[in-house]
Amino acid sequence: MPSARTVHILQQDEFDRVLKWLDPDSEQAGLTYEKIRWRLVAILAARGCSCPEELADETIDRVARRVIDIQDSYVGDKATYFLGVLNNVHHEYLKRPMMPRPPEPDDDVEAKERVHICLEKCLNKLSTNSRRMIEQYYAEDKRAKIDLRKRIAAELGIGLSTLRLRALRIREKLQTCIEQCLVSEARP
Amino acid sequence: MVENRKNSVEFSDETIRRFLLGRLNASEQPVFEQQLFSDSRLEARVRLAELDLADDYAYGRITADERILFAEKFLVSADRRRVVEVSIALRDRFRSVGNTKPTFIAGVRSLLLLNRPAWRYTFALLIFLLLVGSAWVVVKKEGRIKEEIAKRLGRRRPATATVPVETNHPTNNSLPEHQTSPSPMPVHDQTSAPSASAIIALTSADSPNAGNIPSVKIAQHDTVRLQLVLQPYQPGTYRAELLTIDGQSVFSAEAIKAPEGGTTQIDFDVPARLLKTGGYQVRVSRDHAGVKQNAGRYYFRVL
Repeated sequence: MPSARTVHILQQDEFDRVLKWLDPDSEQAGLTYEKIRWRLVAILAARGCSCPEELADETIDRVARRVIDIQDSYVGDKATYFLGVLNNVHHEYLKRPMMPRPPEPDDDVEAKERVHICLEKCLNKLSTNSRRMIEQYYAEDKRAKIDLRKRIAAELGIGLSTLRLRALRIREKLQTCIEQCLVSEARP
Repeated sequence: MVENRKNSVEFSDETIRRFLLGRLNASEQPVFEQQLFSDSRLEARVRLAELDLADDYAYGRITADERILFAEKFLVSADRRRVVEVSIALRDRFRSVGNTKPTFIAGVRSLLLLNRPAWRYTFALLIFLLLVGSAWVVVKKEGRIKEEIAKRLGRRRPATATVPVETNHPTNNSLPEHQTSPSPMPVHDQTSAPSASAIIALTSADSPNAGNIPSVKIAQHDTVRLQLVLQPYQPGTYRAELLTIDGQSVFSAEAIKAPEGGTTQIDFDVPARLLKTGGYQVRVSRDHAGVKQNAGRYYFRVL
C-alpha cells in the first residue's frame, strides 16, 4: 500500500506454504488460491475500497505469514479464515487517511485493437451454435433488449433465464480465451 | 474449501447486482460475504453477473446513478476493467449486425420467409388440395372434357389453301406425292402471316389452252413453287425460264437438278412479287453435254 507503514514482501517459501495448506495437490491449490483472491477482491470492491486488489494481496500475505503457526491446529473452512483476516485488513484500511483514486488508465487505442483481434480469434474458436447465440444475444440495442431476448428464447424453446445463463457462460469462455490471447500476444 | 449449503440463502439476481454495485445494506452485506466464501454456486452466479453488468454498462443499459456506482464500486480492479473492455468490443463487433427493433417491413419480411415451417406445411397442403381437386374434376367431367378436346382438335385441321391446283391433265397419274396427303398447315397460319410458298404442279403442254390452264392465287405467299413434271423423265441439269404469255422474260433459274429417283419433276421457285395477274409460260431446257435441249413448256395463270 502506498502508505508510511512497512510493506512486507511475501517470500516464495511462505507462498508455497499457504498453497500447500490450501491443498496438497499443487494444481488444485492454485485454483483455490485464485478463487479466494477473486472473492476477496469482489468483497472489498463492494465495500467501496478503491484498491481492492492490493488489499486482497495484503490479506493473502498475512495469512501466508500465519500459516506456519496455525496449519496444525486450524479446524474448519480454510477459505473462511481469509475472510476473517480480510475484515482486519479492511478495518485498518478504513483508519488510514484516504488516498486519492488512482487515475483511470488512458484510452489505449492499440490495447483496444488487441482486444478486438483476440475477440475475433476467440469467436472463431466457438462452436457454430455458440457463435450464433452470441451474435444474436449481443446484436441488440438497449431499448430492444427484452424483445430481442424473448425472440431468441422463443426460437430456442427456452426460458429467458436459461438463455441469459447460456449466453453468459459462452461470454465467460470468451473472456477467459481473450485474456489468454492477450497474454500470449504480449509475450515477445 | 468446504461447501455448507444447509444454512445458505438463495439470493436473487437483483441482490447480486446490488452487491456488485456496493448497494447492499449493513445487514445483507455480511451474510452475502459469508455465503460467497462458502457457496461455489453463488460465486459462479456472481461471476456471470459481473459479465452481465459490464455488458449493460457497455450497451448503456444502466441508469445514471448506477453508472456512478459502477465507476466507484465496480470498475476498481484490472480484471474487471478487462471484462468491460471485452463487453465494449462485443458491442462494437455485433451492434451493427443486428436490427434489433424490427420495423413493420422487417416484420412482414420475416413473416414471409418461405423457409418457415408453417409456410412449408401450407404449400404442401395447397399442392395436395390442387391434386385432389384436379383428379375430382377429371373423374367428374371426363365426358365433357373429351368432347371439348375433340372439338378443338377438329377446329384446327381445316383444308389449307396451299393445296396444288388442278393440272393441265387431271387424269394424269403421275401427280406429285404431296398432293395426295392432307396439308399440315393450320388455318391460323394463313390468316396471321403469309405462308412460305404456293405450289402449283404443271405438266407440259404444246400451247396454252385457256380452258385447261391451271390458276393460282398468290396474294399471301412469298414464293410460288412450280412443280414441273418432266415428260419424258430424264435425269440431269435443267434450266427454267419464266415468261409472260406473250414472251417477255420474267425470271429464270439455272442448274436445277432433276432428282435421281422417286419423283419425276423439278421444282422451280419464283418470287411471288414478280407475278402479276395474267398468263405465264415456263420454258424448260435440259443441259446435255453442253447442248441445250428443249424439255417442255408449261402454262399457268395468276388470278
